[in-house]
Amino acid sequence: MSTPSRLSLTQAPPISVPLRFFFTAPFFGILAALVQINAGPDAVSQWTPTTLAITHLLTLGYISMVMIGAMSQILPVVAGSPLPRPLLVSSVVHTLLTLGVLALASGLLFGRGEAVLIAMFLLGAGLTVFIGAAAYSLILANADNATVSGMRVAIVALAITVVFGLRVAAEHVLHLDLPIAKSWTHAHLTWGFIGWVGILVISVAYEVVPMFQMTPKYPQWMQRWMTKMILVGLLFWTSVYLLAIIDSTIWNILTLLLSFYLAIGLSVFAGVTLYLQSQRQRRIADLTLKFWRLAMVSLLLCTSLWVVGQFWPSLGNWRNIGYLNGMLFIFGFAVSVIIGMLYKIIPFLVWLHLQRQNTRRIKLPNMKEIIPEQRIRWHFVLHLMLLPLLAGVAIKPVWFVYPAATLFGISSLLLLFNIFTALRIYQGYYTSM
Amino acid sequence: MKQELVLDVSDLPPPEPLEKVLEATETLASGQYIRMLHRQEPFPLYDVLGDIGFKHLTRVGQKTSFEIFIWRNSDEAAELAVFTTIGGA
Ligand code: HEM
Repeated sequence: MSTPSRLSLTQAPPISVPLRFFFTAPFFGILAALVQINAGPDAVSQWTPTTLAITHLLTLGYISMVMIGAMSQILPVVAGSPLPRPLLVSSVVHTLLTLGVLALASGLLFGRGEAVLIAMFLLGAGLTVFIGAAAYSLILANADNATVSGMRVAIVALAITVVFGLRVAAEHVLHLDLPIAKSWTHAHLTWGFIGWVGILVISVAYEVVPMFQMTPKYPQWMQRWMTKMILVGLLFWTSVYLLAIIDSTIWNILTLLLSFYLAIGLSVFAGVTLYLQSQRQRRIADLTLKFWRLAMVSLLLCTSLWVVGQFWPSLGNWRNIGYLNGMLFIFGFAVSVIIGMLYKIIPFLVWLHLQRQNTRRIKLPNMKEIIPEQRIRWHFVLHLMLLPLLAGVAIKPVWFVYPAATLFGISSLLLLFNIFTALRIYQGYYTSM
Repeated sequence: MKQELVLDVSDLPPPEPLEKVLEATETLASGQYIRMLHRQEPFPLYDVLGDIGFKHLTRVGQKTSFEIFIWRNSDEAAELAVFTTIGGA
């Protein structure tokens, strides 16, 4: 049977739609490094104003920024279903998100309720527009694609993260110091990390790991059930965890069991990915593969550290274990995946859009020439060096905080430079066509 | 001259399928079309083809998941050949 393809010719959004998000992210990385350098070793701990500020410069300004840009690009390619009004939606979301992160980070850093209040409006509005647009396109998309169904779950998780985020932000505006406050924060960060970042990476992995790294496909049961099982686990965990506020042993044990369940889920994902990568057809290890591997190893370290902490009281009581875990998740897992993906997506986008404009069929650069391989390799080395330094920061802040923050600042600067190079090539050819 | 140019890209990692097929469009003589065999629908390719003056038609394939037929906008002979192939096979 032959089916004429959808002849809507402008499936892919203009190149400026995803690129504005990608280009902004490294600025927030640099800013986070500067804030940490300025605050010094004393600020190294969970819940300090500095940590809250850099956490959001990274989770919203860097990680979510890129993930939103990547979704605007991936939806039409993988699902054949673009975001509605991509130019308008991306301008609105990008502007509100950028201003919102700046307001939130400065509000948390300087303890200014007004700034946090402004951030609540900006981020609430910006992320709601994105969630709405993504939901619209995901509803229209082909449902039996595992990436699409996973992205739906990730969008639900983002919405819940935002709701909890607004809830804890309201406490900062009103300067409430209720005893239950940290429970809401915990629910907020768990949904942000496992739900939004974790599930989105899993959904994207189903598509890109076999495709770019020439590995076998993820097992069918996993594609079908994993993201949904994590969602259900998170929902149970949240209800039980928030009930455990009414301190009782049963609820606490249930919370712990559900946390194990979530940790096992993430570890299975990381383990299967590493296994598939070891089975790949092509032996040449390209750099994307290395970034993904690093991400999976970090994720396994993260979940193991957490589990060990539950059984080994002296480690569990160590003040910085949560800090280290968070940093491993952010830099080791999320940022590694993001850098690896950006170095695939950006050259591809530049090349693709040049091809589209190339009606005179002049000779175009090869995709590999758009960002030199050598510079990506440098970036990998810098990023790899960062991870042991982070462990150092958690153990001996006085020694390690400056080298680690400086290294991440340089790494973000290199990312910015590489993206800029790709844009220059695009513009150079674009104007000559 | 053969009317059909078969291009099996189903084993190639991205971006090679796209690179290969775009190279092939440059060599297409009048009356010829490409039958691209692929493991997935190449949505980004459709945009490029439209912009550089090619038509395409996609159907579920026999050997691979998808078959994409590609020919020049103005090439009526190729278009007829595509429709005959699709109607016949
Ligand atoms: C609308 C968006 C968001 C708002 C308004 C928001 C707001 C907040 C606030 C006010 C806190 C401090 C809570 C406290 O003092 O107890 C917090 C903590 C936290 N948030 Fe968010 N957040 C948002 C999005 C996110 C996202 C998307 C992530 C992760 C992907 C995230 C990760 C975290 C983490 C990890 C912490 C704890 C930091 C620490 O341990 O020191 N947030 N958030």
